[in-house]
Amino acid sequence: MIKFNKVTKTYGDVTALKDVSFEVKDGEFVFLMGPSGAGKTTILKLILKEILPNSGEIKVGGTDVAKISEKELPLFRQKIGCVFQDFKLLNERTVEENIEIALAVLGIQESKWKERVAKVLKMVGLESRKSLFPSQLSGGEIQRVSLARALVVNPDLILADEPTGNLDWEKADEIMEVLEKINKEGKTVIVATHNKEIVNKMKKRIIKISSGKIIKE
Amino acid sequence: MNYQTKSAVTSIKRFPYQSLAAIFLLTITFLVVTILSVVSYSSGKIIKYFETRPQIIAFLKDNTTTETVSALQHKLQNDLRIKEVKYVSKEEALSIYKDATIDNPLLGELVNPSIFPASLEFSLNDLSFAQAIIDEVKSEAIVDSVGFTASLGGEKSLGDVVERLRKITLYLRLGGGFFALLLVGTSFLVLVITLGMRIASRKEEVKILDLIGAKKSFIKKPIIIESVIYVVSGVILGWLMTLIMILYIAPSAINYFGEIPVLPKNPLMFFSIFGIILLSELVVGILLATIGSNLALSRASHKK
Repeated sequence: MIKFNKVTKTYGDVTALKDVSFEVKDGEFVFLMGPSGAGKTTILKLILKEILPNSGEIKVGGTDVAKISEKELPLFRQKIGCVFQDFKLLNERTVEENIEIALAVLGIQESKWKERVAKVLKMVGLESRKSLFPSQLSGGEIQRVSLARALVVNPDLILADEPTGNLDWEKADEIMEVLEKINKEGKTVIVATHNKEIVNKMKKRIIKISSGKIIKE
Repeated sequence: MNYQTKSAVTSIKRFPYQSLAAIFLLTITFLVVTILSVVSYSSGKIIKYFETRPQIIAFLKDNTTTETVSALQHKLQNDLRIKEVKYVSKEEALSIYKDATIDNPLLGELVNPSIFPASLEFSLNDLSFAQAIIDEVKSEAIVDSVGFTASLGGEKSLGDVVERLRKITLYLRLGGGFFALLLVGTSFLVLVITLGMRIASRKEEVKILDLIGAKKSFIKKPIIIESVIYVVSGVILGWLMTLIMILYIAPSAINYFGEIPVLPKNPLMFFSIFGIILLSELVVGILLATIGSNLALSRASHKK
Protein backbone atom coordinates (compact mmCIF):
# COMPACT_ATOMS: atom_id res chain seq x y z
CA MET A 1 0.00 0.00 0.00
CA ILE A 2 1.14 3.53 -0.76
CA LYS A 3 0.18 6.23 1.69
CA PHE A 4 0.78 9.99 1.41
CA ASN A 5 0.09 11.86 4.63
CA LYS A 6 0.05 15.66 4.43
CA VAL A 7 3.00 15.74 2.05
CA THR A 8 4.39 19.11 1.01
CA LYS A 9 7.16 19.60 -1.51
CA THR A 10 8.61 22.87 -2.66
CA TYR A 11 11.25 23.71 -5.24
CA GLY A 12 12.62 27.02 -4.00
CA ASP A 13 9.64 29.40 -3.94
CA VAL A 14 7.47 27.10 -6.02
CA THR A 15 5.15 24.77 -4.14
CA ALA A 16 4.80 21.55 -6.11
CA LEU A 17 2.64 19.75 -3.55
CA LYS A 18 0.73 21.15 -0.59
CA ASP A 19 -0.54 18.89 2.21
CA VAL A 20 -1.30 16.05 -0.16
CA SER A 21 -2.85 12.93 1.41
CA PHE A 22 -4.08 9.83 -0.39
CA GLU A 23 -3.80 6.05 -0.31
CA VAL A 24 -3.34 3.48 -3.03
CA LYS A 25 -4.13 -0.10 -2.09
CA ASP A 26 -2.11 -3.09 -3.29
CA GLY A 27 -3.25 -4.24 -6.73
CA GLU A 28 -5.02 -0.97 -7.49
CA PHE A 29 -4.85 0.90 -10.83
CA VAL A 30 -4.81 4.64 -10.25
CA PHE A 31 -4.60 7.60 -12.58
CA LEU A 32 -2.94 10.78 -11.32
CA MET A 33 -4.56 13.31 -13.54
CA GLY A 34 -3.96 16.97 -13.99
CA PRO A 35 -2.43 19.61 -16.23
CA SER A 36 1.30 20.13 -16.68
CA GLY A 37 2.92 21.40 -13.49
CA ALA A 38 0.13 20.07 -11.29
CA GLY A 39 2.52 17.90 -9.27
CA LYS A 40 1.97 14.45 -10.84
CA THR A 41 5.65 13.79 -11.59
CA THR A 42 6.61 15.09 -8.14
CA ILE A 43 4.38 12.43 -6.56
CA LEU A 44 6.06 9.69 -8.61
CA LYS A 45 9.54 11.05 -7.76
CA LEU A 46 8.65 11.10 -4.07
CA ILE A 47 7.48 7.45 -4.20
CA LEU A 48 10.78 6.49 -5.84
CA LYS A 49 12.73 8.57 -3.28
CA GLU A 50 14.30 10.49 -6.13
CA ILE A 51 13.44 13.56 -4.06
CA LEU A 52 12.43 14.04 -0.43
CA PRO A 53 9.38 15.92 0.86
CA ASN A 54 9.70 19.09 2.92
CA SER A 55 7.10 17.76 5.32
CA GLY A 56 4.66 14.91 5.67
CA GLU A 57 5.08 11.17 5.49
CA ILE A 58 5.19 8.75 2.56
CA LYS A 59 4.84 5.04 3.15
CA VAL A 60 5.36 2.39 0.50
CA GLY A 61 4.51 -1.16 1.56
CA GLY A 62 4.48 0.00 5.17
CA THR A 63 8.00 1.45 4.93
CA ASP A 64 8.58 5.12 5.60
CA VAL A 65 10.38 6.20 2.42
CA ALA A 66 12.31 8.93 4.26
CA LYS A 67 13.82 6.29 6.55
CA ILE A 68 15.14 4.09 3.75
CA SER A 69 18.94 4.24 3.98
CA GLU A 70 21.29 4.79 1.03
CA LYS A 71 22.25 1.12 1.27
CA GLU A 72 18.63 -0.10 1.25
CA LEU A 73 17.51 2.26 -1.53
CA PRO A 74 18.64 0.13 -4.52
CA LEU A 75 16.69 -2.88 -3.22
CA PHE A 76 13.63 -0.67 -2.66
CA ARG A 77 13.84 0.71 -6.21
CA GLN A 78 14.33 -2.73 -7.71
CA LYS A 79 10.75 -3.55 -6.66
CA ILE A 80 9.40 -0.60 -8.63
CA GLY A 81 9.11 -0.50 -12.39
CA CYS A 82 9.31 3.03 -13.76
CA VAL A 83 8.33 4.51 -17.09
CA PHE A 84 9.91 7.94 -17.06
CA GLN A 85 8.49 10.94 -18.83
CA ASP A 86 11.88 11.52 -20.50
CA PHE A 87 12.30 7.74 -21.07
CA LYS A 88 15.79 7.56 -19.55
CA LEU A 89 17.18 5.10 -22.06
CA LEU A 90 20.87 4.55 -22.74
CA ASN A 91 21.45 5.90 -26.22
CA GLU A 92 24.55 3.86 -27.01
CA ARG A 93 22.76 0.60 -26.26
CA THR A 94 20.27 -1.32 -28.35
CA VAL A 95 16.63 -1.83 -27.37
CA GLU A 96 17.45 -5.34 -26.16
CA GLU A 97 20.44 -4.16 -24.12
CA ASN A 98 18.43 -1.34 -22.54
CA ILE A 99 15.95 -3.90 -21.26
CA GLU A 100 18.67 -6.34 -20.21
CA ILE A 101 20.25 -3.69 -18.00
CA ALA A 102 17.29 -3.88 -15.63
CA LEU A 103 17.86 -7.63 -15.33
CA ALA A 104 21.62 -7.13 -14.82
CA VAL A 105 20.88 -4.66 -12.02
CA LEU A 106 18.74 -7.27 -10.32
CA GLY A 107 21.53 -9.82 -10.67
CA ILE A 108 19.40 -12.22 -12.72
CA GLN A 109 21.36 -14.94 -14.52
CA GLU A 110 22.20 -14.06 -18.12
CA SER A 111 20.82 -17.39 -19.37
CA LYS A 112 17.34 -16.22 -18.36
CA TRP A 113 17.56 -12.81 -20.04
CA LYS A 114 16.68 -13.78 -23.61
CA GLU A 115 13.37 -15.40 -22.67
CA ARG A 116 12.26 -12.56 -20.38
CA VAL A 117 13.31 -9.83 -22.81
CA ALA A 118 11.53 -11.57 -25.70
CA LYS A 119 8.35 -11.81 -23.57
CA VAL A 120 8.20 -8.09 -22.77
CA LEU A 121 9.21 -7.07 -26.29
CA LYS A 122 6.27 -9.09 -27.60
CA MET A 123 4.04 -7.48 -24.98
CA VAL A 124 4.92 -3.96 -26.17
CA GLY A 125 5.14 -4.97 -29.86
CA LEU A 126 8.82 -4.26 -30.43
CA GLU A 127 10.23 -7.68 -31.33
CA SER A 128 11.41 -6.46 -34.72
CA ARG A 129 13.13 -3.42 -33.20
CA LYS A 130 15.30 -5.20 -30.60
CA SER A 131 18.62 -4.60 -32.38
CA LEU A 132 18.03 -0.90 -33.03
CA PHE A 133 19.38 1.99 -31.00
CA PRO A 134 17.02 4.56 -29.40
CA SER A 135 18.09 7.15 -31.98
CA GLN A 136 16.69 4.85 -34.68
CA LEU A 137 13.24 4.62 -33.03
CA SER A 138 10.19 6.84 -33.11
CA GLY A 139 9.01 8.65 -29.94
CA GLY A 140 6.28 6.09 -29.38
CA GLU A 141 8.69 3.18 -29.78
CA ILE A 142 11.12 4.74 -27.29
CA GLN A 143 8.25 5.05 -24.82
CA ARG A 144 7.43 1.38 -25.27
CA VAL A 145 11.08 0.40 -24.68
CA SER A 146 10.89 2.33 -21.42
CA LEU A 147 7.75 0.40 -20.50
CA ALA A 148 9.36 -2.92 -21.46
CA ARG A 149 12.34 -2.15 -19.19
CA ALA A 150 9.94 -1.41 -16.33
CA LEU A 151 7.99 -4.64 -16.87
CA VAL A 152 10.89 -7.04 -17.40
CA VAL A 153 11.81 -7.06 -13.71
CA ASN A 154 8.29 -8.17 -12.78
CA PRO A 155 7.86 -5.36 -10.21
CA ASP A 156 5.24 -5.15 -7.47
CA LEU A 157 4.55 -1.53 -8.35
CA ILE A 158 4.60 0.26 -11.70
CA LEU A 159 4.92 4.02 -11.92
CA ALA A 160 4.26 5.41 -15.38
CA ASP A 161 4.78 9.08 -16.09
CA GLU A 162 2.84 10.09 -19.21
CA PRO A 163 3.31 6.67 -20.84
CA THR A 164 1.06 7.61 -23.74
CA GLY A 165 2.47 11.09 -24.24
CA ASN A 166 4.09 10.45 -27.61
CA LEU A 167 1.70 7.83 -28.89
CA ASP A 168 -1.19 7.98 -31.30
CA TRP A 169 -4.57 6.84 -30.05
CA GLU A 170 -4.16 3.25 -31.26
CA LYS A 171 -0.70 2.77 -29.72
CA ALA A 172 -1.73 4.54 -26.51
CA ASP A 173 -4.61 2.13 -26.23
CA GLU A 174 -2.24 -0.82 -26.66
CA ILE A 175 0.02 0.47 -23.90
CA MET A 176 -2.92 0.91 -21.55
CA GLU A 177 -4.02 -2.63 -22.35
CA VAL A 178 -0.56 -3.87 -21.35
CA LEU A 179 -0.74 -1.93 -18.09
CA GLU A 180 -4.23 -3.24 -17.38
CA LYS A 181 -3.05 -6.79 -18.03
CA ILE A 182 -0.17 -6.30 -15.58
CA ASN A 183 -2.62 -4.87 -13.06
CA LYS A 184 -4.83 -7.91 -13.42
CA GLU A 185 -1.81 -10.02 -12.42
CA GLY A 186 -2.02 -8.25 -9.06
CA LYS A 187 0.50 -5.46 -9.58
CA THR A 188 -0.18 -1.94 -8.40
CA VAL A 189 -0.12 0.59 -11.26
CA ILE A 190 0.03 4.36 -10.91
CA VAL A 191 -0.18 6.33 -14.14
CA ALA A 192 0.39 10.06 -14.31
CA THR A 193 -1.35 11.51 -17.35
CA HIS A 194 -3.24 14.45 -18.75
CA ASN A 195 -4.90 12.32 -21.45
CA LYS A 196 -8.64 12.53 -20.62
CA GLU A 197 -9.70 10.13 -23.38
CA ILE A 198 -7.54 7.35 -22.02
CA VAL A 199 -8.64 7.97 -18.44
CA ASN A 200 -12.30 8.03 -19.39
CA LYS A 201 -11.97 4.85 -21.40
CA MET A 202 -10.17 2.89 -18.71
CA LYS A 203 -12.72 3.61 -15.95
CA LYS A 204 -10.20 3.33 -13.11
CA ARG A 205 -9.73 5.29 -9.94
CA ILE A 206 -8.67 8.87 -10.65
CA ILE A 207 -6.84 11.31 -8.35
CA LYS A 208 -7.19 14.77 -9.84
CA ILE A 209 -4.44 17.23 -8.98
CA SER A 210 -4.17 20.89 -9.69
CA SER A 211 -1.51 23.34 -8.47
CA GLY A 212 -0.11 20.80 -6.02
CA LYS A 213 -3.43 19.96 -4.38
CA ILE A 214 -5.79 17.04 -4.73
CA ILE A 215 -9.01 18.49 -6.04
CA LYS A 216 -10.97 15.31 -6.59
CA GLU A 217 -10.68 11.64 -5.70
CA MET B 1 30.62 -10.41 -21.83
CA ASN B 2 28.64 -9.10 -18.84
CA TYR B 3 27.09 -5.66 -18.63
CA GLN B 4 29.93 -4.06 -16.68
CA THR B 5 32.69 -5.37 -18.97
CA LYS B 6 30.68 -4.39 -22.05
CA SER B 7 30.17 -0.94 -20.59
CA ALA B 8 33.92 -0.56 -19.94
CA VAL B 9 34.81 -1.71 -23.47
CA THR B 10 32.18 0.60 -25.01
CA SER B 11 33.63 3.49 -23.05
CA ILE B 12 37.16 2.73 -24.31
CA LYS B 13 35.87 2.54 -27.89
CA ARG B 14 33.95 5.79 -27.57
CA PHE B 15 37.04 7.74 -26.47
CA PRO B 16 39.90 5.99 -28.30
CA TYR B 17 42.44 8.82 -28.07
CA GLN B 18 42.06 9.30 -24.31
CA SER B 19 42.29 5.55 -23.86
CA LEU B 20 45.39 5.29 -26.05
CA ALA B 21 47.05 8.18 -24.18
CA ALA B 22 46.43 6.45 -20.85
CA ILE B 23 47.66 3.08 -22.13
CA PHE B 24 50.71 4.68 -23.79
CA LEU B 25 51.80 6.45 -20.61
CA LEU B 26 51.24 3.34 -18.51
CA THR B 27 53.27 1.34 -21.06
CA ILE B 28 56.18 3.79 -20.74
CA THR B 29 55.91 3.63 -16.95
CA PHE B 30 55.98 -0.13 -16.79
CA LEU B 31 58.68 -0.29 -19.47
CA VAL B 32 60.90 1.84 -17.21
CA VAL B 33 59.85 -0.10 -14.10
CA THR B 34 60.70 -3.42 -15.80
CA ILE B 35 64.05 -2.10 -17.05
CA LEU B 36 64.86 -0.81 -13.56
CA SER B 37 63.89 -4.14 -12.04
CA VAL B 38 66.28 -5.94 -14.41
CA VAL B 39 69.04 -3.37 -13.80
CA SER B 40 68.47 -3.72 -10.06
CA TYR B 41 68.74 -7.51 -10.35
CA SER B 42 71.91 -7.25 -12.46
CA SER B 43 73.57 -4.70 -10.18
CA GLY B 44 72.79 -6.95 -7.22
CA LYS B 45 74.45 -9.81 -9.07
CA ILE B 46 77.51 -7.65 -9.83
CA ILE B 47 77.88 -6.72 -6.17
CA LYS B 48 77.42 -10.32 -5.14
CA TYR B 49 80.08 -11.30 -7.64
CA PHE B 50 82.58 -8.85 -6.23
CA GLU B 51 81.63 -9.76 -2.71
CA THR B 52 82.11 -13.47 -3.25
CA ARG B 53 85.06 -13.79 -5.60
CA PRO B 54 88.40 -14.74 -3.95
CA GLN B 55 89.29 -11.61 -2.12
CA ILE B 56 91.52 -12.44 0.79
CA ILE B 57 94.92 -14.10 0.61
CA ALA B 58 96.61 -15.22 3.80
CA PHE B 59 100.33 -15.53 2.99
CA LEU B 60 101.87 -18.25 5.08
CA LYS B 61 105.24 -18.23 6.83
CA ASP B 62 107.95 -20.40 5.31
CA ASN B 63 108.29 -22.69 8.31
CA THR B 64 104.68 -23.96 8.30
CA THR B 65 103.92 -27.66 8.36
CA THR B 66 101.22 -29.43 6.35
CA GLU B 67 99.29 -30.14 9.58
CA THR B 68 99.20 -26.53 10.71
CA VAL B 69 98.12 -25.37 7.22
CA SER B 70 95.39 -28.04 7.13
CA ALA B 71 94.24 -27.03 10.59
CA LEU B 72 93.90 -23.37 9.55
CA GLN B 73 92.26 -24.34 6.24
CA HIS B 74 89.77 -26.51 8.13
CA LYS B 75 89.08 -23.70 10.61
CA LEU B 76 88.39 -21.24 7.82
CA GLN B 77 86.18 -23.69 5.97
CA ASN B 78 84.04 -24.09 9.07
CA ASP B 79 83.57 -20.34 9.40
CA LEU B 80 80.08 -19.47 8.04
CA ARG B 81 81.27 -16.05 6.86
CA ILE B 82 83.89 -17.65 4.58
CA LYS B 83 83.55 -19.78 1.50
CA GLU B 84 85.77 -21.51 -1.06
CA VAL B 85 89.06 -21.77 0.83
CA LYS B 86 91.87 -22.78 -1.46
CA TYR B 87 95.48 -23.66 -0.67
CA VAL B 88 98.06 -22.26 -3.12
CA SER B 89 101.51 -23.83 -2.83
CA LYS B 90 104.79 -22.05 -3.62
CA GLU B 91 104.91 -23.86 -7.00
CA GLU B 92 101.38 -22.85 -7.87
CA ALA B 93 102.18 -19.26 -6.87
CA LEU B 94 105.11 -19.29 -9.27
CA SER B 95 102.86 -20.67 -12.00
CA ILE B 96 100.33 -17.90 -11.40
CA TYR B 97 103.15 -15.36 -11.52
CA LYS B 98 104.41 -16.79 -14.81
CA ASP B 99 100.91 -16.67 -16.27
CA ALA B 100 100.60 -13.07 -15.19
CA THR B 101 103.95 -12.13 -16.76
CA ILE B 102 103.54 -14.19 -19.91
CA ASP B 103 104.12 -11.09 -22.03
CA ASN B 104 107.56 -10.70 -20.45
CA PRO B 105 109.06 -14.22 -20.05
CA LEU B 106 112.31 -12.81 -18.70
CA LEU B 107 110.58 -11.85 -15.43
CA GLY B 108 109.42 -15.44 -14.98
CA GLU B 109 112.89 -16.85 -15.59
CA LEU B 110 114.47 -14.68 -12.91
CA VAL B 111 112.48 -16.17 -10.06
CA ASN B 112 112.14 -19.56 -8.39
CA PRO B 113 109.38 -21.01 -6.19
CA SER B 114 111.23 -20.41 -2.93
CA ILE B 115 110.67 -16.66 -3.07
CA PHE B 116 106.88 -17.05 -3.31
CA PRO B 117 105.01 -17.74 -0.09
CA ALA B 118 102.36 -20.45 0.03
CA SER B 119 98.94 -19.01 0.75
CA LEU B 120 95.32 -19.67 1.61
CA GLU B 121 92.88 -17.85 -0.65
CA PHE B 122 89.25 -17.48 0.22
CA SER B 123 86.17 -15.48 -0.53
CA LEU B 124 83.47 -14.10 1.74
CA ASN B 125 79.71 -14.42 1.84
CA ASP B 126 79.51 -10.69 2.48
CA LEU B 127 82.17 -8.05 2.07
CA SER B 128 81.19 -6.40 5.33
CA PHE B 129 82.79 -9.32 7.23
CA ALA B 130 86.15 -8.69 5.57
CA GLN B 131 87.86 -6.39 8.05
CA ALA B 132 87.05 -8.57 11.05
CA ILE B 133 88.19 -11.74 9.24
CA ILE B 134 91.44 -10.11 8.09
CA ASP B 135 92.18 -9.14 11.69
CA GLU B 136 91.43 -12.65 12.91
CA VAL B 137 93.55 -14.35 10.22
CA LYS B 138 96.44 -11.95 10.83
CA SER B 139 96.61 -13.12 14.43
CA GLU B 140 97.18 -16.74 13.35
CA ALA B 141 100.74 -17.93 14.13
CA ILE B 142 101.43 -19.39 10.68
CA VAL B 143 100.20 -16.33 8.81
CA ASP B 144 102.82 -13.85 7.71
CA SER B 145 100.58 -11.23 6.14
CA VAL B 146 97.10 -10.82 4.68
CA GLY B 147 96.27 -9.30 1.31
CA PHE B 148 92.98 -8.07 -0.09
CA THR B 149 92.47 -8.34 -3.85
CA ALA B 150 89.18 -6.60 -4.59
CA SER B 151 89.68 -3.17 -6.03
CA LEU B 152 87.51 -1.12 -8.33
CA GLY B 153 89.29 2.15 -8.78
CA GLY B 154 92.47 2.50 -6.75
CA GLU B 155 90.79 2.40 -3.34
CA LYS B 156 93.28 2.48 -0.54
CA SER B 157 91.42 0.40 1.98
CA LEU B 158 88.86 -2.35 2.20
CA GLY B 159 86.35 0.13 3.60
CA ASP B 160 86.72 2.22 0.45
CA VAL B 161 85.94 -0.73 -1.82
CA VAL B 162 82.87 -1.78 0.13
CA GLU B 163 81.69 1.81 0.35
CA ARG B 164 82.13 2.38 -3.36
CA LEU B 165 80.18 -0.73 -4.32
CA ARG B 166 77.41 0.09 -1.92
CA LYS B 167 77.21 3.69 -3.12
CA ILE B 168 77.01 2.74 -6.78
CA THR B 169 74.13 0.37 -6.02
CA LEU B 170 72.40 2.80 -3.72
CA TYR B 171 72.54 5.66 -6.25
CA LEU B 172 71.40 3.34 -9.03
CA ARG B 173 68.44 2.10 -7.02
CA LEU B 174 67.55 5.49 -5.50
CA GLY B 175 67.81 7.34 -8.82
CA GLY B 176 65.93 4.64 -10.67
CA GLY B 177 63.35 4.34 -7.92
CA PHE B 178 62.76 8.10 -7.90
CA PHE B 179 62.34 8.17 -11.67
CA ALA B 180 59.99 5.20 -11.55
CA LEU B 181 57.97 6.82 -8.76
CA LEU B 182 57.71 10.01 -10.79
CA LEU B 183 56.38 8.05 -13.76
CA VAL B 184 54.01 6.01 -11.60
CA GLY B 185 52.70 9.24 -10.05
CA THR B 186 52.17 10.85 -13.46
CA SER B 187 50.45 7.73 -14.79
CA PHE B 188 48.25 7.63 -11.74
CA LEU B 189 47.16 11.24 -12.30
CA VAL B 190 46.48 10.62 -16.00
CA LEU B 191 44.47 7.55 -15.04
CA VAL B 192 42.39 9.52 -12.51
CA ILE B 193 41.80 12.36 -15.02
CA THR B 194 40.84 9.93 -17.82
CA LEU B 195 38.46 8.08 -15.51
CA GLY B 196 37.06 11.39 -14.27
CA MET B 197 36.19 12.27 -17.87
CA ARG B 198 34.59 8.88 -18.31
CA ILE B 199 32.47 9.35 -15.20
CA ALA B 200 31.38 12.78 -16.43
CA SER B 201 30.39 11.29 -19.78
CA ARG B 202 28.47 8.52 -18.00
CA LYS B 203 26.60 10.89 -15.68
CA GLU B 204 23.24 10.23 -17.36
CA GLU B 205 23.83 6.48 -17.36
CA VAL B 206 24.75 6.57 -13.67
CA LYS B 207 21.55 8.51 -12.93
CA ILE B 208 19.43 5.96 -14.85
CA LEU B 209 21.11 3.00 -13.18
CA ASP B 210 20.60 4.62 -9.80
CA LEU B 211 16.87 5.11 -10.49
CA ILE B 212 16.30 1.54 -11.61
CA GLY B 213 17.91 0.25 -8.41
CA ALA B 214 21.54 -0.42 -9.26
CA LYS B 215 23.81 -0.77 -6.26
CA LYS B 216 26.83 1.52 -5.93
CA SER B 217 29.15 -1.42 -6.64
CA PHE B 218 27.26 -2.19 -9.88
CA ILE B 219 27.66 1.42 -11.03
CA LYS B 220 31.34 1.56 -10.01
CA LYS B 221 32.40 -1.72 -11.59
CA PRO B 222 32.65 -0.58 -15.25
CA ILE B 223 34.97 2.26 -14.20
CA ILE B 224 37.13 -0.12 -12.17
CA ILE B 225 37.19 -2.64 -15.05
CA GLU B 226 38.15 0.14 -17.48
CA SER B 227 41.07 1.26 -15.31
CA VAL B 228 42.18 -2.35 -14.87
CA ILE B 229 42.12 -2.78 -18.68
CA TYR B 230 44.37 0.31 -19.05
CA VAL B 231 46.82 -0.79 -16.38
CA VAL B 232 47.00 -4.44 -17.44
CA SER B 233 47.55 -3.35 -21.07
CA GLY B 234 50.30 -0.97 -19.90
CA VAL B 235 51.95 -3.62 -17.73
CA ILE B 236 51.91 -6.31 -20.44
CA LEU B 237 53.11 -3.99 -23.21
CA GLY B 238 55.87 -2.43 -21.06
CA TRP B 239 56.98 -5.83 -19.80
CA LEU B 240 56.91 -7.39 -23.27
CA MET B 241 58.94 -4.56 -24.79
CA THR B 242 61.58 -4.93 -22.07
CA LEU B 243 61.64 -8.72 -22.49
CA ILE B 244 62.22 -8.39 -26.24
CA MET B 245 64.88 -5.72 -25.64
CA ILE B 246 66.70 -7.82 -23.01
CA LEU B 247 66.48 -10.97 -25.16
CA TYR B 248 68.07 -8.95 -27.95
CA ILE B 249 70.94 -7.55 -25.87
CA ALA B 250 71.41 -10.57 -23.55
CA PRO B 251 74.04 -12.40 -25.67
CA SER B 252 76.17 -9.25 -25.98
CA ALA B 253 75.73 -8.37 -22.29
CA ILE B 254 76.61 -11.87 -21.12
CA ASN B 255 79.64 -11.86 -23.41
CA TYR B 256 80.72 -8.38 -22.26
CA PHE B 257 80.46 -9.09 -18.54
CA GLY B 258 82.10 -12.49 -18.91
CA GLU B 259 81.93 -14.48 -15.72
CA ILE B 260 79.87 -11.82 -13.90
CA PRO B 261 76.32 -13.27 -13.97
CA VAL B 262 74.45 -10.06 -14.88
CA LEU B 263 71.66 -12.16 -16.42
CA PRO B 264 70.83 -15.80 -15.77
CA LYS B 265 72.20 -18.08 -18.47
CA ASN B 266 69.61 -20.76 -17.68
CA PRO B 267 66.43 -19.97 -19.74
CA LEU B 268 64.15 -21.31 -16.99
CA MET B 269 65.75 -19.00 -14.43
CA PHE B 270 65.68 -16.11 -16.91
CA PHE B 271 61.94 -16.47 -17.60
CA SER B 272 61.21 -17.11 -13.91
CA ILE B 273 62.71 -13.72 -13.08
CA PHE B 274 60.66 -12.05 -15.81
CA GLY B 275 57.60 -13.95 -14.59
CA ILE B 276 58.11 -12.64 -11.06
CA ILE B 277 58.55 -9.09 -12.39
CA LEU B 278 55.32 -9.42 -14.45
CA LEU B 279 53.34 -10.76 -11.50
CA SER B 280 54.63 -8.03 -9.18
CA GLU B 281 53.80 -5.36 -11.76
CA LEU B 282 50.31 -6.77 -12.25
CA VAL B 283 49.68 -6.69 -8.49
CA VAL B 284 50.98 -3.11 -8.23
CA GLY B 285 49.08 -2.15 -11.40
CA ILE B 286 45.75 -3.56 -10.25
CA LEU B 287 46.22 -1.85 -6.90
CA LEU B 288 46.92 1.40 -8.77
CA ALA B 289 43.81 0.90 -10.94
CA THR B 290 41.57 0.18 -7.95
CA ILE B 291 42.83 3.17 -5.96
CA GLY B 292 42.71 5.42 -9.05
CA SER B 293 39.15 4.47 -10.02
CA ASN B 294 37.88 4.79 -6.46
CA LEU B 295 39.54 8.20 -6.17
CA ALA B 296 37.96 9.32 -9.46
CA LEU B 297 34.55 8.03 -8.34
CA SER B 298 34.77 9.70 -4.94
CA ARG B 299 35.81 12.99 -6.61
CA ALA B 300 32.81 12.69 -8.94
CA SER B 301 30.39 11.97 -6.08
CA HIS B 302 31.69 15.00 -4.16
CA LYS B 303 31.07 17.21 -7.19
CA LYS B 304 27.41 16.14 -7.43
